[in-house]
Amino acid sequence: MRKYTIRRIFMAVVTLLVVACLTFILMNAIPGNPWLSEKAPSQATIDALNAKYGLDQPVPVQMVKYLGNILHGDFGTSIKMQKNRAVLSIIMEMFPVSAKIGSIALLWAVLVGVPLGCLAAFKRGTWVDSLLRIVCTLGISMPGFVVATILLHTLCGGISGVKVFPALFDGSAKSYVLPCLALGFYPMCYLSRQTRTAMLDSINQEYIKTAKAKGLKNNKIIFKHALRNALIPVITYLGPQIAFTLCGGLVVERVFSIPGLGRYFIQSIQNRDYPVIMGTTIFLATFIIIMNLVVDLCYKLVDPRINLSNGGH
Amino acid sequence: MAENKRYKKFGSLQPNVDDIMKWNAELPENAFEPATSEEKENFIQDRKSVSYWKDAWRRLRKNTVAMVALAIIIILTLFAFVGPMVVPYTYKQQIRGSEALGLSHYTYEDIQAIHAYIEEHTGTGVLSPDEAVEQARAEAEANGKKLSRIEEAKIRAQASVNAESSEAEEETITESQAAKELGLKKKPFGYSEKELERKASGEKVFPHVFGTDDQGRDIMVRVMVGTRVSITVGICAALLVLIIGAVYGSISGYCGGAVDAVMQRIVEMIYSIPEMLIILLLSATLKPALEQFQNSGNGILQKLVTILGPNLISMFIAFGLLYWVTMSRIIRGQILQLKQQEYVTAARALGAKGGRIIRRHLLPNCIGQIVTTTFLQIPSAIFLESFLSFVGVGVSAPLTSLGSMCSEALSGLNTYPYRLFIPAVILSLMILSLNLFGDGLRDALDPRLKK
Amino acid sequence: MSEDKKQKLLEVKNLHVSFFTPAGEVKAVNGISYDVDYDEVMGIVGESGSGKSVEAYSIIGLLQSPGKVMEGSITLEGEDMLAKTSSEMVDYRGSQVAMIFQNPMTCLNPVYTIGNQLTEALRAHDKSISKEDADKRAMEMLEQVGINNVEKRMKQYPHELSGGMRQRVMIAMGLICHPKLLIADEPTTALDVTIQAQILELMKELQKKNHMGIIFITHNLGVVAEVCDKVSVMYAGKMVEQGPVDEIFYEPGHPYTMGLLRSMPRVDAESYERLIPIEGSPVDMLNPPEGCPFAPRCEHAMKVCLQKMPPYVELGDNHRAACWLRVQDAIEAQKKEGTEGKKNE
Repeated sequence: MRKYTIRRIFMAVVTLLVVACLTFILMNAIPGNPWLSEKAPSQATIDALNAKYGLDQPVPVQMVKYLGNILHGDFGTSIKMQKNRAVLSIIMEMFPVSAKIGSIALLWAVLVGVPLGCLAAFKRGTWVDSLLRIVCTLGISMPGFVVATILLHTLCGGISGVKVFPALFDGSAKSYVLPCLALGFYPMCYLSRQTRTAMLDSINQEYIKTAKAKGLKNNKIIFKHALRNALIPVITYLGPQIAFTLCGGLVVERVFSIPGLGRYFIQSIQNRDYPVIMGTTIFLATFIIIMNLVVDLCYKLVDPRINLSNGGH
Repeated sequence: MAENKRYKKFGSLQPNVDDIMKWNAELPENAFEPATSEEKENFIQDRKSVSYWKDAWRRLRKNTVAMVALAIIIILTLFAFVGPMVVPYTYKQQIRGSEALGLSHYTYEDIQAIHAYIEEHTGTGVLSPDEAVEQARAEAEANGKKLSRIEEAKIRAQASVNAESSEAEEETITESQAAKELGLKKKPFGYSEKELERKASGEKVFPHVFGTDDQGRDIMVRVMVGTRVSITVGICAALLVLIIGAVYGSISGYCGGAVDAVMQRIVEMIYSIPEMLIILLLSATLKPALEQFQNSGNGILQKLVTILGPNLISMFIAFGLLYWVTMSRIIRGQILQLKQQEYVTAARALGAKGGRIIRRHLLPNCIGQIVTTTFLQIPSAIFLESFLSFVGVGVSAPLTSLGSMCSEALSGLNTYPYRLFIPAVILSLMILSLNLFGDGLRDALDPRLKK
Repeated sequence: MSEDKKQKLLEVKNLHVSFFTPAGEVKAVNGISYDVDYDEVMGIVGESGSGKSVEAYSIIGLLQSPGKVMEGSITLEGEDMLAKTSSEMVDYRGSQVAMIFQNPMTCLNPVYTIGNQLTEALRAHDKSISKEDADKRAMEMLEQVGINNVEKRMKQYPHELSGGMRQRVMIAMGLICHPKLLIADEPTTALDVTIQAQILELMKELQKKNHMGIIFITHNLGVVAEVCDKVSVMYAGKMVEQGPVDEIFYEPGHPYTMGLLRSMPRVDAESYERLIPIEGSPVDMLNPPEGCPFAPRCEHAMKVCLQKMPPYVELGDNHRAACWLRVQDAIEAQKKEGTEGKKNE
């Protein structure tokens, strides 16, 4: 386990480094310079700006310097959207909103999706199973903006007389409801499908046959033997879902006009505010990679097969 | 006979004599002649042997959901590829005078009746200030007088007050009110008045089934083209993923050892990279680079970039870089598993080359899983494309896609909800049927997985 | 005869089991009958897919849909097992009839300790037993199956044990409630040969101690010779031969049994003797042919074999086979006797 943990952490660090370098290299591959805007500045101005932001040095030096700065929490400053404001401070202002919506969405997705998946597995072949299967396949087939706009249109005044929730995000508890609902719908359906598969897989395992041959009651077989084994793989699906929820937030934040990091990120791409793009990418990537790492280690903790043996793979 | 229950001993054989006699009587003449090998062969061949693909197709056909999904996929494909040939408009054609049409229209006769009704019922008694002054002047001249400036100003002020109050009190009659009064109903499809005139004069005018947008572009054609873009992107991405994944996975699985170890570390790393972020990053950074390249000359590559648009290209690059990992893992796993089996060792011992072994022995064994994974890549690529287009870094103008149409329609959601919901429904329906059919395909091709 | 009338432990009569797959009905078990008495080991031999396991699952009530018992009866100590409701069967399983499965690697739940899985069987049938008592019984049982260091083992997870050790645990789990009938479905197939011998030895020992009947399902005739008292040979859902173990080995009546014996390695064989495989592969169970299912692979196949299923011919005490060759023998013997009788008259 320890060997595995160390190896896994090492891999995560390497991945992070690769992502950071990739981001930096891509940003440097952009032709021209970031100062090109409506009116072309004079060469002297450009030189001065380059010197100010350290762009006159060779690329590898710049990269090492940039990475070093990141370690100190210095992500550079915005050059367009909020001129001269530190990127980190922008992230710190925007991220909590996104994180709050994301975590609520994921929470309800897990709390509803996993039991629904179990239900579908137990009722396999019945109309409950068919209904859930269609709903969940629909759920993973509808892009986030479709779900979000349907909710926005039907419940926020699009249909006359129905205005249950505010159309504009104002930070009140009520205005969180729809974004979280929209954002959690996909992971809910996804988790439910995966849980169903895992549960059926588990029910077909031979140890279930053993448990039956022992004369255990049906309930005990399902809740003790099948469920626990089924839930272990479901944990692994959480990692990608965290990433997905964060990125899905980009769309939901746009539809509901939420001042979150996702919307800001998209705006920065449209405005070509490179330090913001770079900083946000690296920040979000770090967050996602760390969450993946945590989920992975949790998985190994719950599964005794790996927990007690040395290493594992 | 009373001795029916007598048993006879024939060495160690102890059957009932009556039974023996019965068997003997019932047997055909040549019963105990040895069967020829031909007869044995026929005996086996009498039973239908079903090939893998036939069997899979039979299972698939029995799956109603999958077949309905397949039908929807076919209809959507026809809609996307044949549709634009039928409709006489193009997706970027801005039709003058047909801006912002809705989903329905009044016929030409109805419209004229409505206009007449509106004219009739809109009061002409209220004059604008200038008109009032003009009228007063004319009156005064007729009386041989001349209006003083002060009087003129008074009349002007009075008239404007009148106009204001009449605007507030007397509502102008709208089209829908007039139609209601006249008992006229809207017919489906959008036509502009000009088009109605042309239609009335006997010309054939193709309707705007889904209306037009603010720039006068036919929405149905745009939806068709958008669907076409989505399907094409999906298929290309799936093929790209298949090729890269298959090559990478085969090499990794077949070589094994250190090569495999290194290649798997790379896969592991790509797995934990958040692909969505990288795609956004790529489209942000590659776009200027590609634009520069596009303007750098007039070669074939430059033209290709122009046709596809820089965003689409960066999307494909991202697919090629990141999305093949699942496919490569599947293929590697299969190959590792199959590599151990005897027939591969045998083929190797007979001197078959590596490539041949992969082609002839390994791939046929995992073809079911490969087909399923490739197919399911199509809806996921379409899903991603729509996401990126919605966010604004996907398919770029003038080309359109379902995602970018939804994005454009978002601002006018409350006025023209159908402009968003039509592409959204088609998009969801397409991904849904692709997913359902993919599920069916998986069940049919890999019966072991069928639950 | 009075001995026959004494109640047997298990009687299976004319059992038919079918699977209803989308492709059609598969008659996995097609009219088999046998009985097992206390203190008796009955072997069921046949290649994979011949219906051995299906037949065993129907005894213990674990037949899963789309499988269904179509015809026949199963009685355990005079009680009709097929008439029982599923909740009655739950009480029967484990306490009256226990089953050991083929693969000890996958048959133990990987996320629970050995102790947990052992005691849960006990407590399922005896609600009043305390945790300490259950633990004690479980440890006794583990010792009985030859596992040392019991206290440590109780706290271990299945993956920490070797294959042989796990199969011992499986046996302990099967026997912990002292069942009257034990069904062992290829219990040694997944194990090393040396471990196999140990496990077989152990099973025989425990059988003597508990006076239970055992149904031993295998495709390994060597194992049959070692442990079984009588043998049923199955082919394509049908029982082609049945008899005491010695007669099956020394006077086989069905070409399939002969083929099995010839394809088995023997220690006493001459060094130049070659193993002879049975050519061809089993029939398609979806579209079973009219005649004898073994006919296409049978070197003695006759015209009648391809047209009709042969009847059973008694070859000795409790030894019978279904083969036209034996029918032919009988008819010829009868004719001979008839002519001899006429002559004598």
